[in-house]
Amino acid sequence: MISVQNITVCFGEKVVLNRFSLALPETGVTALSGPSGCGKTTLLRVLAGLQPSRGGAVSVPERPTILFQENRLLPWRTVEQHITDVLPRARRGEAPRWLELAELEGEEKAYPGQLSGGMGRRLALARALACGGGLYLLDEPFAGVDAGRAGRILERVRALGVPVVLSSHEAELLALCDRVIPLAGPPLCLAEA
Amino acid sequence: MRTSTTFRNQTAGKILRVVIPLAFWLGVWQLAAVWVDTVYQPGRGYLLLPAPTLVAQRLVTLMGESAFWQAAAVSLGRIFGGFALGAAAGTAAAVLTAACPWAEWLLGPAVKVIRAVPVASFIVLVLLWAPSTGWVPAIVSALMVLPVVWGNVGRGIGETDPLLLEAARAYRFGRGKTLRLVYVPSVLPYFASGCATALGLAWKAGVAAEVLCQPRLAIGTRLYRAKITLETPDVFAWTAVVIALSLLLEVALGAALRRLGRGAKP
Repeated sequence: MISVQNITVCFGEKVVLNRFSLALPETGVTALSGPSGCGKTTLLRVLAGLQPSRGGAVSVPERPTILFQENRLLPWRTVEQHITDVLPRARRGEAPRWLELAELEGEEKAYPGQLSGGMGRRLALARALACGGGLYLLDEPFAGVDAGRAGRILERVRALGVPVVLSSHEAELLALCDRVIPLAGPPLCLAEA
Repeated sequence: MRTSTTFRNQTAGKILRVVIPLAFWLGVWQLAAVWVDTVYQPGRGYLLLPAPTLVAQRLVTLMGESAFWQAAAVSLGRIFGGFALGAAAGTAAAVLTAACPWAEWLLGPAVKVIRAVPVASFIVLVLLWAPSTGWVPAIVSALMVLPVVWGNVGRGIGETDPLLLEAARAYRFGRGKTLRLVYVPSVLPYFASGCATALGLAWKAGVAAEVLCQPRLAIGTRLYRAKITLETPDVFAWTAVVIALSLLLEVALGAALRRLGRGAKP
């Protein structure tokens, strides 16, 4: 089970998570939906272990990997290098597989500055997936990616067999997820269905 | 065809942007030399301001001597050695101060002192302490370079994008990989800018040190001897050599840094 229990996160005076609890099954694709600024990103960062919380408990599979809301690509590394950088030396030959998953074949030698917004997002996603781990936490994974392509890529991500928790606003994408958790806030809370 | 014509026009434009100001200032120099020769003492004006043609003649004559090349090579090696030493020490100090707050507290005042002390004081002090006069220009150049590179590299480290550093942690980069893939490319432009500024300082301070401490083989020594024997065209010729070597080193360093940062932001 992926869960957070009674966690509190504040940024200065602003309380983003107030004794928040949530439990999610450790299978399939779970979507967190809710308005911008309600605290979805903070929750994903807490699950990834990047955001310290006050009190409470967090339970996640070993080595969760996060896709950040921003692409955070290295302007001086090529598309292919972004993937090989996160792969262990023995598995560097797998780079084409991850680029194919994100439909980035033929762009291996391009730099992030030469990619469109959607391509940059798909590269960031491919890098996070290539990094591996027991849980994928994807923050707005298909921002700027057309719906048809996003659907195809999501199916490939599901086929990896690793549990996925993603945040999204897009109705077409939410319809493809195994379950959708509607959220509201801040502070973050479960919204009325 | 159109691309080739545009390229030719651009290249011609670049060349003209260099040649026209150069020709203008050489013309001003020539006129000033003629004027000085007229008002001072006809035929002796070169003692105060030699004409560019006379300086060029002297330069060609000097270039025919093996001592010229020896002095130029030794000065180049000495000053570049000091520059490299200062750049390495400045980078190491910047890394140390970024990693340990106590290092900034401890080393900060020393850098302020180095920045404030006049070059002449350094030259005289190093001349007292150094084992031979040949070391003085190198050490003085290093001392001029160190605070500039330290400041620039320190700023580069401080301004490395924290989001990229967090991503490096999230994607399990080790220390070495974070250094190689995030810090070094982020800091390189700051380092290059620091080196460009420091190189000029290294030359100025290094040649000044040679003039004051008179090592056997040195541009500064030849410059000083030309001055005391009233060989003013030689003073100008040696100054031209300093400028040429400084530009040469700047171009070579720029090319080396560009090569090092190859792949950065195309």
